[in-house]
Amino acid sequence: MNATTAISTQNLTKRYSDEVLAVDGLNLIVPTNTIYALLGPNGAGKTTTVSMLTTLTEPTSGQAQINGLDVVRQAGQVRRQIGVTFQEIVLDPDLTGREALDFHARLYGIGKTARRAKIEELLALVELEEAADRRTNTYSGGMKRRLELARGLITSPAVLFLDEPTQGLDPQNRANIWAYIKTLKANTTMTLLLTTHYMDEAEALTDQVGIMDGGKIVVEGTPAALIAGMGADNIQITGSGPQDGFLAQVGKLPYVETCGALNGIIQIGVDSGSRRLVDIVERANRSGFTIEDISVAKPSLGDVFLKHTGRQLRDK
Amino acid sequence: MNATMLLWQKQMKKTLVHPEEIVGMLIQPILWVVLFGVGMRSLMGAAAPGSGADYMTFMIPGIVALTAVSAAIAGGSTWLSERLIGIVKEYLAAPIPRLSILLGNAGSIVTKVLFQAIIILLVGLLMGANLSHNPAGWLGGLLLIAGYGIGFSGLALAVASATDSSAGYHMMIFLLQLPLLFLSNSLYPLQTLPLWMRLGTYLNPTTYVVTGLRQMTLAPTPTMGPDASIALWLCFLVTLAFAVTGMTVALKAFRRTIA
Repeated sequence: MNATTAISTQNLTKRYSDEVLAVDGLNLIVPTNTIYALLGPNGAGKTTTVSMLTTLTEPTSGQAQINGLDVVRQAGQVRRQIGVTFQEIVLDPDLTGREALDFHARLYGIGKTARRAKIEELLALVELEEAADRRTNTYSGGMKRRLELARGLITSPAVLFLDEPTQGLDPQNRANIWAYIKTLKANTTMTLLLTTHYMDEAEALTDQVGIMDGGKIVVEGTPAALIAGMGADNIQITGSGPQDGFLAQVGKLPYVETCGALNGIIQIGVDSGSRRLVDIVERANRSGFTIEDISVAKPSLGDVFLKHTGRQLRDK
Repeated sequence: MNATMLLWQKQMKKTLVHPEEIVGMLIQPILWVVLFGVGMRSLMGAAAPGSGADYMTFMIPGIVALTAVSAAIAGGSTWLSERLIGIVKEYLAAPIPRLSILLGNAGSIVTKVLFQAIIILLVGLLMGANLSHNPAGWLGGLLLIAGYGIGFSGLALAVASATDSSAGYHMMIFLLQLPLLFLSNSLYPLQTLPLWMRLGTYLNPTTYVVTGLRQMTLAPTPTMGPDASIALWLCFLVTLAFAVTGMTVALKAFRRTIA
């Protein structure tokens, strides 16, 4: 196993029942000291993937390694390498924020002096100094989420898993957390794998994105490359009529970078949406295609998701 | 710090945060001895003069067993709650042995059981029960109680691992609890039972714990001799086997939840 690969999976599969195939033959490589996002809606298999990689549940088939250590056969050693924050809030309501952090650090064998310093640093980062000595059942949802993040960071793991890390946070908190994650990556050799259904988070934070749907990665790349593949502007059309003829015409145009349709939604990547819009509409009319809805926007990872799955990136 | 000790400490801290739980732990055994004990003493005394005090002495170990079962049930309920909230995931992702997660929980249950057992013995003494003044007897008795506590904790933790519903947990535990307590000599002597029931009690670890407790912690009186129905060494052996079985069952059930 390559020493520069932090996370690696080969045909990783998790089946819960005949009806539920949560992860379907996942092949993933995450280089060391990168931030990788699994982007997809709820139900895509992201959390199940994280559960397997963090040894919380065993795969049905396939393999996975963290820094070369097998997640099943060398699970104990894998746990020494990883930290994780879970999607749902898993704080003990009877402990104070400080006690929760202290307990977690002691679970990982961190000594008293180092623990104290780290707790103060992280409480300041997530702005919970004043609430630190109150029980967590008195915290708001946002406060709990911030404390969870602090807890995931306290052990300074080699590989950190963040499952929906900024869900429920306000924009300022999200920006702070993103800045800290980027600093972590720049100043340490930590590798981060995060799952998210927020496009802006994946675009702002990550080196690589794997768009996940139906238990599989449908497309993978840097956010910039994935978006560039959509064209400078994205024209999205729904309608009725001879779609194939319309697309055949549009595909020949010199300013069209990409065009296609899935599940009745047409996406056309062009060099300039405002300049080309009228021409596109005229060609639709000429080919007999009736436009019911049309929009122009800078492409996003949501459009990439739509292109590959035919669905919008939103909760199922 | 050793992971088992750390988890034990966490569970004990959670108990101290709830003063109502501490009050309950103190008051419950006192109420059992005082209310049930005095009531039964009067009943027995009316039926056969002089036997009331004997019954108060006789039933103290049975009350201890009952309290141990209650504490284990409460501990299993806490475990279920931690599973359902997701707190257990923090333990599972940490580099600690799986067994230490269960031992830490069972350890905190047994600590509470021993605490309550000491209160029961002291209150029993105050209420006129004929308890032994031999410290070695009390120590041996506490060992038996600890073993029983570990065994039943294991069963409670296993049931709490097997269900996702609080109602389901309490129903399953109820089905275990009744025969464990009443198909034993906790509250009535073996020789008074019909044969079929007596045979059943010999299959019940509670019988051995309670018999051993009587031999270790009670002082014989002119009207009530020591309970020699089962050899002491056998009482300890069965209690040990129950403790090991309980934790083995708990570990198996726990592993199934993370498959």
